[in-house]
Parts: sequence; structure tokens; C-alpha cells
Amino acid sequence: MSANWLIWLLAAPLVAALGAFAVRRPGVLPRRLVEGLHLASVSVVLGLALLVVAAVLREGPLLALDDWLYVDALAAIFVLIIGVIGFLAGVYSVGYLRHDLETGALDARRLSVYYGFFNLFLFTMLLVVTSNNIVMLWVAVEATTLGSAFLVGLYGQKSSLEAAWKYVIICTVGVAFGLYGTVLVYADAANVLQHPERASLWTEIVRGAAALDPTIMKVAFVFVLVGFGTKAGLFPLHAWLPDAHSEAPSPVSALLSAVLLKCAVFVILRYVVIVTPAIGPAFPQTLFLVFGGLSLAAAAFFIFVQRDLKRLLAYSSVENIGLIALGLGLGGPAGILAALLHTMNHSLAKALMFCASGNILIKYGSRDLEAVRGLLRVAPVTGLLLLCGALALGGAPPFNLFVSEFWTVVAGVRAGQTALIVVCLLLLTVVLTAFVKLVGGALFGAAPNHVRRGDVGLLNLLPLAVLVVLMLGLGLHLPAPIAQLLDQAAGVVLSSQSGTGMAGR
Amino acid sequence: MSGIALVNSLAGLLIVTSLLVVETRKLRWSALVYGLQSLVLVLVFLALAAAMQASRLYIWAALAFVTKVVLVPLILYRALGQVGDLETPSGLLSPTAALIVAAAILGVSYAVVAPFELKVVAGLKPALAISVAHFFLGLLCILTQRNLLKQVLGYCLMENGSHLTLALMAHNAPELVEIGIATDAIFAVIIMVAMGTQIQRTLKTLDTNALRALKG
Repeated sequence: MSANWLIWLLAAPLVAALGAFAVRRPGVLPRRLVEGLHLASVSVVLGLALLVVAAVLREGPLLALDDWLYVDALAAIFVLIIGVIGFLAGVYSVGYLRHDLETGALDARRLSVYYGFFNLFLFTMLLVVTSNNIVMLWVAVEATTLGSAFLVGLYGQKSSLEAAWKYVIICTVGVAFGLYGTVLVYADAANVLQHPERASLWTEIVRGAAALDPTIMKVAFVFVLVGFGTKAGLFPLHAWLPDAHSEAPSPVSALLSAVLLKCAVFVILRYVVIVTPAIGPAFPQTLFLVFGGLSLAAAAFFIFVQRDLKRLLAYSSVENIGLIALGLGLGGPAGILAALLHTMNHSLAKALMFCASGNILIKYGSRDLEAVRGLLRVAPVTGLLLLCGALALGGAPPFNLFVSEFWTVVAGVRAGQTALIVVCLLLLTVVLTAFVKLVGGALFGAAPNHVRRGDVGLLNLLPLAVLVVLMLGLGLHLPAPIAQLLDQAAGVVLSSQSGTGMAGR
Repeated sequence: MSGIALVNSLAGLLIVTSLLVVETRKLRWSALVYGLQSLVLVLVFLALAAAMQASRLYIWAALAFVTKVVLVPLILYRALGQVGDLETPSGLLSPTAALIVAAAILGVSYAVVAPFELKVVAGLKPALAISVAHFFLGLLCILTQRNLLKQVLGYCLMENGSHLTLALMAHNAPELVEIGIATDAIFAVIIMVAMGTQIQRTLKTLDTNALRALKG
């Protein structure tokens, strides 16, 4: 029964996407129809995602479709992120796109295209985190790029086309490296496994991982890290990210940053579990520390000097992916837990901030931080929500990111990397300063004359409020099911280091 | 000539044709040469299928024929009919320099795959090295060429390289996997070409130098 939920989880957004593509007519009725279909889809995805996570907690990993689909606790975290953020960004989309339609930024045909691709994008990301076949996993990652490229270039302006082109070419080329990693692992697994015909299944490869060839696994991991690291936005492979995140419609920016980057992290984690028994934890950890440290350092600088709100948020994504990589690099239970918790926490905060930036775009028509002034008077609720998000991203308590950043520090001290941690804390102070500066500038002062007072509609505020509640909740107290999920997921990653395969559990 | 030797020599032809794709100035000709190169790839698949008795590779060959020999050149050819096949701006490397870099890439690729101990590629190391080098030649094309659609061809070359690696190392994988990869590749080309033509309509150029508004 639970396994069937997996299939429905994938089918719902795919059907909604096809439906939305089919209805490409102007008029109120077709628009309502597409919106209804979209809302039904994101609601079903959320519901099924929660059911799947609950089933994993209750019964252990789920397998479906001849073992091609697999969700363990590690995958369940990402299913949860896709479900929650997909739903909230999906609801937010309705209000945001209606505004775009009113102002003429989009026409009815493009509206249907938007909802079609939004749901297709959700489907491809769900396919990434539920694939057990590593080649299908690669296909799914590549499909996420193709599914979201038109969303990035939706407005068809010069800058959005440039962003979309860079996004497609850099990510497609990057992910092509990932295919090499995939093929190397598959070929070696087919060489050593008892059942070569099942050598493309992650669960099977992990069982025989200790027998894999260390030389091939090292080369494979480098390809995987470069390939999927490009998609995750690790510095210096991040070149597509600030452009794509800033030019995409705001709810899409939220999906890109809060969900897509995490899917790439998930893929890398799957490969860590594969290669670690053969080559030991030190090699992947060193690479994580180098890429993580570089990402954090470079992003902190770019965040500080940024004058464009959405580009600032995009660089903040690079920074946070850097922090996640640092947690993975520090390793040990504390490091892995910190990385996984930070993955969740950042998703919530970044979805909030990109949606808030959408509200600012609606009110001010600009992302330029010089032009955005007096938000508390113009749109007080949006202002307060932006304040919460900015403080959270700055790492201030009582918000959730403080907790996972604190755990990263603890992991660093436990791993004896005190010097590295001190440098990171200094960099995080730079980031906090930048966010305080952002809030100080945007919330107060006199608003430009052309900006009318009055907050945006409820559809543009409620999803953000829910995000703030979730962030405060996770910041103050980690609910037992989430703690259990994180614990089991960390167990999946750590099991490869102790040499006891967890795949069958 | 043994089957394995045939595979290795045909793979060598891929490098020659890929250099031709990169260095041909008229894009329509590049697209046609790409079709020719894909035909060589199909022949490699057939030779490999016979040499390794891998019946699945016949399906791969058929699929590659449809997507790479027919569809991709057709899509590019049609797109060029819409936007006009302008003389492409010259790349960053001269043909001689490109040849030297290609030789260097081939050498490095061979050094990387030489220590691999895999039964499936025993005797096929030259072809394997060529497939990896081919992938990086495609990357070189993307990095050094300034025409958007030429970059798409660069991606196609990368794709042919990884496809050959896949055929050499993973031809026992389930057919659905191959179908998935082929479908992804063709959609990637369709989307990139659609985007390229949209950029041409909006910016009136296919020169990547025009795409420099977003910075910092």
C-alpha cells in the first residue's frame, strides 16, 4: 500500500503538468481551471509526501516499481522538502501570477505554460529523490534542468533569456560530468556484483560497495562532485545560479534555491554512501571542506557588496550550500546531522525570502535595494516577514538556521578543526552584517512616491506566514518525528563509514 | 581485422569528425558533419554489438540513428533556416591550436583510463580513451566557440562521447536506461535550439558576447 503512494506521488504532478499544457486558452474559465488543477496537484503532492515520510518512519524504506523507486529516511527528508515547499510556493504562485497577468507581464498562454512547467519541475525533482536506479537518477537530474529552463526564461526579456541560456548550458554540461561518474560506478558494480543485471540499483551497489575498485571510485566521485556540484551551486561551479535565481519568477526562484539545489546535494550524498566503503571517508570529506569553505568565503563577499535583492539571496544560497558541504566535510554524527538539518532549515528560510522578494517586486517593481525603502509603512506584514527571514538567514536565534549553524560549529570543534571554524564564524558575521544592512535599508526610510500603501493579497502572505511559523517551530524545538527522521537519515550516510550496509534496513 | 580492433579504429574516426564539426565555419555544414559523425558512432555501436555479442547494442544503434543521425541535424538545419545561417564568428582557438589541444586531451584521457581494471573494457582502452577525450573536445567547443548554436553542437559532441563510454562500459544496462538518456539528450537539444532562436529573435544575434548584461 505505502509503495503505491510513491507511484501516485510521481503521477500527480505529471498529470497536472500535461493538463495545464493542454489548456492554453485565454479567458477566466480556462485560467480558473488551470489554477485549480495546479492547486490540487500541489496539495496532493504535499499530502502524499507526508504519508510517504510517515510510512518510512513507521515501516522503514519503501521500494516500488521493481525496485526502481526507493525512499529511505535520507530520501524522505528531501521528499518532505519538495512536498512542503512545493505546496507553499505553489499557493504563492497563484497570487503572484495573477498580478503578472494584470500588469501584462504575462499573457494567458504563458500562464498555462508556467503551471505546466511548475508541475513538471516538481515531478522531475520527485523523480530525483525517489530513484533507486542510478542511471535513471541521472536522467531525472538532467530533466530538472530541462523542466525548469523555460520557467527561468518565462518573461522572455533580454536578461531572463540570458539567464535561461546560461542555466541550461552550464547545468547540462555540468550534469554531463555526473553521467561519467554514474557510468563508472555502474560498470565497476556490474564487474563485482553477484547479479550484474541489478548493478544499476543503488541498494544493490551499496550492498557490494566494499568490493568496488578504489581508483575507479575516486575518479567517479570527482566526476559526481563536479557534475552535481554544479547543479548544487558550489563555488566555483555556481556561475549560473545568481542569474537564474534572480531572473526567474519569484516562486520559481524559491523552488530553485530551496528545493533544486538540495536535490543535487541528495544525489551527491547517495554517491558518498557508495564510494566511502571502497575509498574511506577522508577523500570525500576533504573535497567537501575545500568546496564548502570556498563557497562560504566567496558568497559572504558577494552578499556584502550586492545591491540587487534577489541576487543577494542567490549568493546566500551559495553560502548555505557551502555550510551544508562543510557539515558533510567535518563528518561524524554531529556534522552529518548538522548538514541535513541545515538543508531543511535553509529551504524554509530561502523560500520565505524569495517569496517576500516577490511581494517587494509587486509593490516597488524593482529589486534594487537602493529603491526599496519604507517597506514597514508600505506593506507592514511583508516587512515583518522579510525581517524574520533576514534574521534567520543571518543566523540569529530563535530561528531555525541558528540551531543548524550551531551544530556545524560543534561538529567542527569535535573534529578538531577549530581554526577553520573561527574563520567560518567571521565569515558568518559578515553575512549577518549584510542582512542587518538589508533590513535597515528596506524596512525604514521614506518610500518612493510612486509606491502605493497597502499590503499584497492574502495568497501572497499566508504561505510566508506558514514558513515563519515552521522556522520558529524548528528553531525552538525539534519535533520528535523530524528528529527521528534526521537520526535515521544520518545513519544511512554514516553506515558506509562503519562498513555495515544500511540499504536493506 | 578483429571486431575489437574495428571498434578502436572507428572510434578514432570520431575524433577526426568532431574536429571537423568544430572547425567548419558554416553552421549548416557543421550540422551535416555532425550527422556524419553520429553515423560513425552508430557503426561503432554495431561493431561493438558484434564483437561483444551484446544484442542490446543493436537497439542502441537504431535509437542513435534516429535521434543523432536524423533528428538532431534536422532540428538544427530547420532552426538555421529560420534564423539564417550567418558566418559564425571565429572561435578563440586557431585550427592548429585546436588540433594540439585535442592531442593533449587524448593523451591525458588515455593516462586516466589506463589503470582501470575492468573486464568489460579489456582491449578497448583506446576506444574508451577516445570516448572520454571526445567528451572533453565537446566541452572545448562550448568554451571556445561564440555562436550559441555552435555551442549546442559542442554539447552534442560531449553527448556522443559519453554515449560511447556508456556503450563500452554499460551496455548490459536495462534498455529503459538507454531510452531515458537518449530522450533527455534530444529534449536538451530541442530546448537549447528553441532558446537559441528566441534569443536570436530578441537580441538579433547568436553571438555569446551579446549575453553579458548580468554580472556580479
